[in-house]
Amino acid sequence: MKMSISKSINRTDAKGKIWGETPYLGDIAFDNPLYVKTVRSNQSHARISAIHIPTLPEGYWVIDKSHIPGKNYMKTVVSDHPILAEDEVLYIGQPILLVAGPDREKVYGLSKEIRIDYEPLPAVYTLEESEKQGMVFTDYTLSKGNPVEAFSQAEKILQDEYSTGLQEHVYLEPQGMAAEFKEDTVFVYGSMQCPFYVEEALTEALNMPADKIRVIQTTTGGAFGGKEEFPSLIACHVAIATCVTGHPVILIYDRDEDILSTTKRHPSLVRYKVGLDKNNTLTVLDIDILYNAGAYAGISPVVLQRGIFSSTNVYNFQHIRVRGRNFRTHTVPSGAFRGFGAPQSIFAMEMLMHNIAISLGLEPIDFKMKHCLKQGDTSCTGGKIHDKIILPELLERALTLSEYRKKIQTHKPFTGIGLSLFLHGCGFTGNGEQTIRGKIILQKKGKDVLIKVSSVEMGQGADTILRKIVAHTLELPIHHVQCEVRDTGLIPDSGPTVASRTVMIVGGLLQKAAEEMKSRWDTEENLEISKVYHHPDFLVWDNDTFTGNAYPTYSWGVNVAEVAIDPISYAIQVKKITAVYDVGRAIDERTLRGQMEGGIVQGMGWATIEVMHADEGTLVQRTLTDYKIPTSTDIPDIVCDFIENPYEFGPFGAKCAGELPFTGPAPAIAAAVSNALGIPIKELPITPEKLLEMKNDED
Amino acid sequence: MVNGYHPKDLIEALKIRAEVSCIPLAGGTDLMVQNARGTGLSPNFDKPLLFVGHLPELRHIEKKEGFLHIGPSVLLSEMLSHPFIPETFKKAISQMASPPTRNLATLGGNICNASPAGDTLPFLYAMDAELILENHAFDRRIPIEEFICGPKQTELKSDELLTDILIPTTLFPVSYYKKVGQRRGMSLTKVSFHGLAEIVDGYVEDLRMAFGSVAPTVVRSRDCENSLIGEPVSTLKSRFNEIWELYEPSIQPIDDARSTATYRKNVCYNILKDFLTHLENIKEIYNE
Ligand SMILES: Cc1cc2nc3c(=O)[nH]c(=O)nc-3n(C[C@H](O)[C@H](O)[C@H](O)COP(=O)(O)OP(=O)(O)OC[C@H]3O[C@@H](n4cnc5c(N)ncnc54)[C@H](O)[C@@H]3O)c2cc1C
Repeated sequence: MKMSISKSINRTDAKGKIWGETPYLGDIAFDNPLYVKTVRSNQSHARISAIHIPTLPEGYWVIDKSHIPGKNYMKTVVSDHPILAEDEVLYIGQPILLVAGPDREKVYGLSKEIRIDYEPLPAVYTLEESEKQGMVFTDYTLSKGNPVEAFSQAEKILQDEYSTGLQEHVYLEPQGMAAEFKEDTVFVYGSMQCPFYVEEALTEALNMPADKIRVIQTTTGGAFGGKEEFPSLIACHVAIATCVTGHPVILIYDRDEDILSTTKRHPSLVRYKVGLDKNNTLTVLDIDILYNAGAYAGISPVVLQRGIFSSTNVYNFQHIRVRGRNFRTHTVPSGAFRGFGAPQSIFAMEMLMHNIAISLGLEPIDFKMKHCLKQGDTSCTGGKIHDKIILPELLERALTLSEYRKKIQTHKPFTGIGLSLFLHGCGFTGNGEQTIRGKIILQKKGKDVLIKVSSVEMGQGADTILRKIVAHTLELPIHHVQCEVRDTGLIPDSGPTVASRTVMIVGGLLQKAAEEMKSRWDTEENLEISKVYHHPDFLVWDNDTFTGNAYPTYSWGVNVAEVAIDPISYAIQVKKITAVYDVGRAIDERTLRGQMEGGIVQGMGWATIEVMHADEGTLVQRTLTDYKIPTSTDIPDIVCDFIENPYEFGPFGAKCAGELPFTGPAPAIAAAVSNALGIPIKELPITPEKLLEMKNDED
Repeated sequence: MVNGYHPKDLIEALKIRAEVSCIPLAGGTDLMVQNARGTGLSPNFDKPLLFVGHLPELRHIEKKEGFLHIGPSVLLSEMLSHPFIPETFKKAISQMASPPTRNLATLGGNICNASPAGDTLPFLYAMDAELILENHAFDRRIPIEEFICGPKQTELKSDELLTDILIPTTLFPVSYYKKVGQRRGMSLTKVSFHGLAEIVDGYVEDLRMAFGSVAPTVVRSRDCENSLIGEPVSTLKSRFNEIWELYEPSIQPIDDARSTATYRKNVCYNILKDFLTHLENIKEIYNE
């Protein structure tokens, strides 16, 4: 009998990384390279009136917008971010010039000597102010049922408001790129999630065809969405610099520079007006979602879409209207970050449900479960949920494992327990998967098989998992299955490594290809099979009206958080998180647990200790001394369990898993803090400073 | 390029100190961070470095004539495993930085860095610790309170080194330490407090209270302490607001990237109250 696919194997990348043998970008040697340093805006919003450049020693360059062969913007969803500033700068840290030269010391020195004169322009820093001034990038509305009439029939109408803050990715390896010219082709190397995004951006910036550009992913030390769209910008920087100078160039950010200038999680504000009937059932919701996109729109429209489509979380409401808006502020642009807009709107919804239940004197679990989606119900976009929903089983398991019902009755002062329900839409939002039409190639040479995909290993275990899917299907030892280097000259575009799509979509295609290969294995020595993604026919989507199946399917989770609060400092200690998930089926249980535990810790950081705010456009927490992420001493006891619910269209029944675990901890911890102190929590991060203030206001 | 001197002993170190303007470097965990520049660039020191971490004369832990002597180049990790170091001091040290940093960081570095958030300082202030400063010809003895005059400012002269730290061996039966940081490990202090007391027959015989991170230097209100010495412990709780009024003016915290002034002040209030309540609990234990 074949072993279960879920049985853990060693990560194929573990040994090299643990031994320090795996080279990262910074370890790669180039011939006579130049080092590049970015000169940035120190103004939130200003017109550049003059640039004073010192006399440059021989072999040193200053590169500006006039050196860009193609268009001066970074290609993404909304291509509005200039590669190098034109006459205006919109945030502190915006790239204006590049200094390149052979000696790092001199390059840094020159970059400091450059003087830029600015005429300051009025700047807007907060979401509220931006709303007042109507600085809106995107404005979407969707509705279901008849909210107007439903409000008129409501027994009770409530209003509420929730907000969340900035978050920095803190991938272990800061952003970096290198480039060189070989014959007539530009080679760009770097840490990234999406080699073809980078390639596309380069074709536009360099005004060169894609076959003259090779993008090669180097070992990527973590990404979390931070290396989704942002690397395209610095890839353009190094590619332009190599074109101008004729030398290989290297650009690697320092941690502080990375914090200052790279994208962050969107701060959010969610306003509710909701109606209840006489049975205390929520019948109608009006949800107003505001995301702070920062200075440029970039990828924010899609982040906002996921935020809107996830805004009713696991609940089934008959009448809803959701409005979602992205706003401009003169702060560092927001971008992709694990969860991609969903954690913000789900936090707000979970806390709304929690707070309404508490205010009605109901147990939050009962109030929540009364509204839960069931198989055959429709989502907020009216898409029918075709798959089996096992949320009640997940909940029961979580309640049992955590002893929630006993603990909620007996908890001591300053300790609390709280629960969250959540989901994640698997794969790209809306018609994303149909547009990308991810393509994979599986090659057989004798006894060996090569996987060709653009989905990258970035620390999450993708290489191991994809190889395992193929090896398992072909019944081969895993070392006979390898992954091709992510070099756009050698691989097809299986899509970006985002949206928790790698296993379900790309792994699914690989499984199909491997099955076909198996049937031809004995007769053909060499074989190449390619597969292109086809969306299941029964899924419908209208992108103009936002109706239909926003996602092919969903993964689900339940978290129970237990906290202890220090009565003196109000510091929150998360003692334990019990987490139960439906991700279809685990391809590898240990790697999956790694994702879950990492996601829980990152979600806990967002909810509690990761404080970041800007004062008039200047980030206050600019270094890892001041911006804190959880350390090993902060990690709670984590109990993690899965209930299988295989998905017909995923490989071995697998659905999505990478982002899901991020979403659960914040609302569970907030509910637990609220339980411990008897105060409602409506804002993230939950800091001891705010708790102490709320308690003092209460007295 | 950064130049450095690696003297073989203290005499040579003090000779270099007398002749060249240089920066003493023990573990470098403050200096290297403060002077770090970009990736691939060496830190930027405007003067040559004088390495002192290895000097044998600065690495002692011994008891002599009523004092515990600790060499400034003793590592924090060495202090944690040494039997002479009071447990309550170890409690503070064990919450500093992380094990790898504690394997480099020294006590002398923490003192001479003179940060209001230096975590060894409240204990040293509370204990009336004294320092020996030496140049090639003389040495002088100075209370820590006089040595540190502001953030990053000390009385150290350009030809001197800190060569010894003296802590009276007095034992306090009641001790209390609290560090409030943003997270549990590797966190600079928002507020810290070291309290020490001796209670005899229900009366306060001796009392020391020192706060870190709430003013330019560690705060120790001797007026307040003196006003409580000789008082019955049982009255401290009811008199708390009066005590707080005496203490409060010396607590002058600021808003910064780590926290707010209001929060810091509120936490000081809670800590002081908890400490004085704690004293009473100890008294109850004595009465049993
Ligand atoms: C990651 C990290 C976490 C940290 N966490 C904490 C924390 O939680 N709490 C805390 O208090 N600190 C913390 N620190 C700061 C630092 O580790 C301590 O202050 C440490 O004790 C400094 O010792 P050092 O030997 O490394 O000092 P160095 O950097 O070598 O020197 C510091 C200063 O002391 C001077 N100096 C050193 N020795 C002598 C001498 N013999 N005579 C005269 N001058 C001298 C130096 O010239 C310099 O001005 C942290 C640092 C890091 C990097």
